[in-house]
Amino acid sequence: MGKIISLQKWLTGALIFGLMLSGNLASAQDEVASAIRRYKAYEASTGYYEEYEVLPQRQRPLITIPNIRQGLIPYSPTAASVRSRTHLADSHQGIRFYAGRQCADCHTAAAMDIHTTRANLTCRQCHGGEPIASIHYYWSPLNPIRRHAYVCSKCHEGASASYAAYVVHAPNPSMAGTMKSFPVLFYAFWIMIAIAVGTFVLFIPHTVLWGIRELFVKKKKTGGEQDEQE
Amino acid sequence: MNRNRIRRFTPLQRLSHIFLIITFLVQSATGLGRMYMETAWGQRLCWFFGGYEASREVHIWVGIIMLCGFVLHVLYLLAKVEWKGFPQSLFGPDSMLPRPADLKEFFQHVAWFFGARKPPEFDRWGYWEKFDYWAVFWGMVIIGVTGLLLAWPIAASRIMPGWGLNVALWVHRIEALLAMGHVFLIHFFIAHLRRHNFPMDRAMFEGSADLDAARHERPAWIRRLRDSGRLEGMLVTDSMIGQRVLFYLFGYAAVAAGLFLLIGALINVPHISW
Repeated sequence: MGKIISLQKWLTGALIFGLMLSGNLASAQDEVASAIRRYKAYEASTGYYEEYEVLPQRQRPLITIPNIRQGLIPYSPTAASVRSRTHLADSHQGIRFYAGRQCADCHTAAAMDIHTTRANLTCRQCHGGEPIASIHYYWSPLNPIRRHAYVCSKCHEGASASYAAYVVHAPNPSMAGTMKSFPVLFYAFWIMIAIAVGTFVLFIPHTVLWGIRELFVKKKKTGGEQDEQE
Repeated sequence: MNRNRIRRFTPLQRLSHIFLIITFLVQSATGLGRMYMETAWGQRLCWFFGGYEASREVHIWVGIIMLCGFVLHVLYLLAKVEWKGFPQSLFGPDSMLPRPADLKEFFQHVAWFFGARKPPEFDRWGYWEKFDYWAVFWGMVIIGVTGLLLAWPIAASRIMPGWGLNVALWVHRIEALLAMGHVFLIHFFIAHLRRHNFPMDRAMFEGSADLDAARHERPAWIRRLRDSGRLEGMLVTDSMIGQRVLFYLFGYAAVAAGLFLLIGALINVPHISW
């Protein structure tokens, strides 16, 4: 009897151990730009991490029309059944011509956030190398259960899970869709805009009219110390 | 010498205003520089303060200095309140607190713009001056609190969820744009361009206003002072020409800096992502 219980324990342990190994570890957990290049190798030269991962990313060599998305994602027949891409080890699995594309070709809005446009970060510095795991893939470094430790704290030392709840790809606060996806941001934005616009709507015409009206006032000179004549 | 000016601001109040001019302009430049980092204009602004990262340091430190000034100002207010007749003393004509007469004067003033009524007889503070004052007061609280959250985001996310920083950023941004727009357009126009003050209202630098002008615009104030016999004691002579040159130079330097920021920001709006 005792031997059977002990065997059960060993089997359970082996099963859990096996499960832990069975998932594909997302390679993004290592800071690499490609199979042979490491970000750190470039740090001394530019101060920025490598800007060229898939292709030259934001500074495109060819002239393009802004805000025009070029082409749609072509699904291959084999991956046609893939609808939800939020839990995949390779979130771009089955997308044709993937290797020749840049992130912002498809993720146009995602490339407009402050991390990208101001701090000059590249997508890969957070999302990692190929294959890029879906955010909710269990082993993804960007999975909310470990995102603060695996990704945010690379730059923001001491980042907590709460800190990682900052929405990096925040929606446009003015849009109606934001009312559903991020209501606090939506209402805060519109209340502040209402205050600002209200102030200007009141005071700009007021000030202009005042300025015009004063052109028609005669300045009286009554002299220094004498009191006004009533 | 002819004592043709009336005392309006104490040296401490004038110093506070200069403090506010300098800190406000630095905050505007560093904040706009970072916001416009995608444009050559923004990069040049940041370059002036030592780059993108250094601008943030300057912005945070000057922000802290500003908040210290704000705390000192609140202490100053507490010391200045007449506790004897409290709280009625808060609503006298010398107080910055709004009172019903301000609303009445506002409507009468607007009616005067259209020639419908006589101009209101303002007392010591016009409604637009009270609005300016409380706009800064409220702005300090809003921008100060959100600024502190954004300056120490990791500490801030202990007391609120991290997405609060998204909200704080937008509140900080819009309130700052409102403040800059108000100061660079409306405040500058009222203090410099309208005919009553053209080319510049020196009162905030010199401490005194032209008696004729005050009698013309604020008759209620002058009458109140004269009736209580305090007018004579408040008359002062004009400043020396050298001082006046200094006031004009400083005032116009601030206007130039403000307009540079305002125009640059407006021109470059299409080139940044929000």
